[in-house]
Amino acid sequence: MPESGTRPLPFPARVALQCLVLGGFAAFIGVFSAKPAYPLRGENDAIVKLSFTHAAQLQHPCRERNAEELKKLAPNMRTQLDCPRQRAVVRFEMEMDGKPAYRLELPPGGLRKDGPATVYRRAMVAAGTHRIAARLSDKPSGEFNHSKEAVVDLKPGQVLLVDFIPAEGGFIFTKE
Amino acid sequence: MATPCLRSRADRVIDAAIARAFAAPYNPWRQLGALTSLALAITVASGIVAYALYDTSISGAYQSGLRLQNDPSYFGVLLRGLHRYGADAFMLLMILHLLREFLRSHYRGPRWYSWLSGVPLIWLGWLAGLTGLWLLWDSRALHSVMATAEWLQALPLVDEGLVRNFLASGALNDRFFSLVMFLHIGVPLFLIGGLWAHLQRIHLPAVWPRRAAGVGLLLTLGVVSLLAPAQSLGMADPHFVPKAISLDWFFQLPHVLTDSLSGAGTWAVAGGLTLLCASLPWLDRGRRKPAPARVELIHCNGCSRCAADCPFGAIRMVPRTDGGMHAQQAAVDDELCVACGICVGACPSSTPFRRIEDLVSGIELPEQPIGRLRQTLREVLKSRAPGSMVLVCRCRHSPGGSQAPDPSMLSIEVECLGMLPPSFLDFALRQGLAGAVLAGCEGGNCEFRLGDRWTLDRIAGRRAPRLRRNVARERIISLARQDDEASIRNAVDELLRHPMHDQPGDAR
Repeated sequence: MPESGTRPLPFPARVALQCLVLGGFAAFIGVFSAKPAYPLRGENDAIVKLSFTHAAQLQHPCRERNAEELKKLAPNMRTQLDCPRQRAVVRFEMEMDGKPAYRLELPPGGLRKDGPATVYRRAMVAAGTHRIAARLSDKPSGEFNHSKEAVVDLKPGQVLLVDFIPAEGGFIFTKE
Repeated sequence: MATPCLRSRADRVIDAAIARAFAAPYNPWRQLGALTSLALAITVASGIVAYALYDTSISGAYQSGLRLQNDPSYFGVLLRGLHRYGADAFMLLMILHLLREFLRSHYRGPRWYSWLSGVPLIWLGWLAGLTGLWLLWDSRALHSVMATAEWLQALPLVDEGLVRNFLASGALNDRFFSLVMFLHIGVPLFLIGGLWAHLQRIHLPAVWPRRAAGVGLLLTLGVVSLLAPAQSLGMADPHFVPKAISLDWFFQLPHVLTDSLSGAGTWAVAGGLTLLCASLPWLDRGRRKPAPARVELIHCNGCSRCAADCPFGAIRMVPRTDGGMHAQQAAVDDELCVACGICVGACPSSTPFRRIEDLVSGIELPEQPIGRLRQTLREVLKSRAPGSMVLVCRCRHSPGGSQAPDPSMLSIEVECLGMLPPSFLDFALRQGLAGAVLAGCEGGNCEFRLGDRWTLDRIAGRRAPRLRRNVARERIISLARQDDEASIRNAVDELLRHPMHDQPGDAR
């Protein structure tokens, strides 16, 4: 049975076209698997990353239940101390070269608001020397009870990590 | 959204352009699904070997990549390239496959299942590739991990502390790479399971491409691997951000979106596109669904040819319900039937040589009964001299221009060429037609997947119902209507120019 259809091109032209299609496919994959390069920062930029997770103090102090309150509770729930689980909001402020960079109020995590407060921010700054001051309050009163101030010299591309780990003395500025 | 007409025209333009280079069965545009599965197979096979050479530790992960890329025997370079570029090709081919099926409106009606089940595969393929990039633990991997963490943190239930795992040098341990490896192996397993589900409603799916097309893909990936070796960047350092980074855009595009739109914005774009894709079968239902095939029990002998030929598995053979002498009967699942009529062409009862006055097949398309076709042939041929006319059978879905009335052509239009029983060609030639031109979709481009293949196989005698052996094959011209009516006209003229050797009624 004769078959017809698209008129075939001469063999050399067909091979050339096949090379073109396969070459185009190969080039597309080869190029877009690595290019174009994506700019992550400016020529003279450094990066400041702020990240910590911290459980603040309890919002309300424990108190003793009186006899009447204890009576209202189920027998197995009659503990003398009533300790609400909710934690205080963490207040955080950071200044860079005397100018405010962050002023955050971080609510406690968890459904019962009894978990740690967490934050992550990143920002570009010009490379060079900067004076960084950070302070934090984890008290219900909001009074700042942790602080640190330091002068850091940041090279282009260098990352300064501002962390807060009370067990290691509070604020930690890491850049290498 | 572009109208279906514009979209199908775009598909034809692309197809025709590629068809200039590749003969019909090898046209890669027509086997994108199969090429996608081959790209996955290449990626998985090279990945299994690469896994044997990989060290899942912080220092070892980066060194593993370097060892392969610096292998003096080039085995490592080829292996790494095939794995990396195979994954890129998988994503690209999958998107092209999606695009082609969209252009052809192959999400409507019973095809909704294949369309919908394909949508999650994009996510799984993307995740499998992304986790592979992390395993190299170079600066691209670190950027990708952090960007993904930032993106995930935009979700309401994900803690902002996720990214802390990657901020300091000591934050990670070797278990991270075991976890990523678990994901990198586990996700493709889900992907393969998803592919199995994706093909469930397709009868005889083309899982693998034609050998030549497959070899072409493998060679192409091999050449790219050697010419542009996949390379690691500098080792991941959380305290340094390079000025620019080389991204694998097939997998890392969401990172750029997260940077420019925010995490929530990227979720909105990705989620919106996914939702739009998934709901397309219901948003664009198209024209009224044609009535599904109907079994005419009295004419069905339970031969099961219709079930064997149905491209979508819409026909099952079930025990006889009418107490007839045959053990089985065909049963059509209306939800799966696309009303292509290929089952009608497969039915031995569709032969026009039957003596009953009103020809009825064992399985019929209610909107295009086979008896009407025989009636048309008989009526037209009553008033025509033998050899003065050619039967032109056109597929409704194949491309082609408008047909002008022509006294030398007896034109009929069918849903798919596979609907035409081969005995009709025999019948038409014996009734005095000079020949037959079958104008359908080009090889591998059938709207209903298998119509062109079954038609050619039946005429060549490779598949039942076979065209009788002594029917003059040179009187039948199979024509892919890629261009216009001119090719049909030429075929008709050619058949009219050469007189038949057999006279009507002599063929037997």
